[in-house]
Amino acid sequence: MRNDVRERRTAKGLAQGELARELDVSRQTINSIETGRYTPSLPLAFAIARFFGVAIEEIFHED
Amino acid sequence: MKTEAKTPRQYWATSVLGLVIGIVYQVGFALGGRPLDGAIALSIMVAFSVVIALAGRRSETVRGLLDRRDERITGIDLKATAIAALAMCVAVLIGFVVEVAQGHTGSPYVIIGVVGGLSYSAAVVYFRIRT
Repeated sequence: MRNDVRERRTAKGLAQGELARELDVSRQTINSIETGRYTPSLPLAFAIARFFGVAIEEIFHED
Repeated sequence: MKTEAKTPRQYWATSVLGLVIGIVYQVGFALGGRPLDGAIALSIMVAFSVVIALAGRRSETVRGLLDRRDERITGIDLKATAIAALAMCVAVLIGFVVEVAQGHTGSPYVIIGVVGGLSYSAAVVYFRIRT
């Protein structure tokens, strides 16, 4: 599953660690999500979408 | 955008548990008349507790394993636990066969196997009902 987390994070000028703290996860997890190695759970995907102020499907895309 | 750290969690729970287990070891050895071995066991558990406490401050992974806030690390922990359980099952089965082949009853491997099997079955039923 592709996602735009990295693009949206960098657009906000946030480091991975800062986004991780906002979402209460580790920096490694943010990196894994951005590189597509880890697909977040629905609650975490909602939290990510809510943080960026968009709908889930605007960030996460089916391959 | 400014970010703030979330409330710090208690990283010391595993370390304290390690110390408690070490004390239980020491009491057990002392009751068996081997206080020196008990002291060694306690020392090992104290060292484990210190290492865990220090690693939790430096390693994001260890911290995640300790506070269980990160879903990805929790998932890694679950998978690692399943692999470790599988390895233990193999060890118990081999131990049981060796014991039986030597003309023994298969103890304590039988008991360990029964506990593991019943625990797994109970967990499946529990989670089947809960989820």
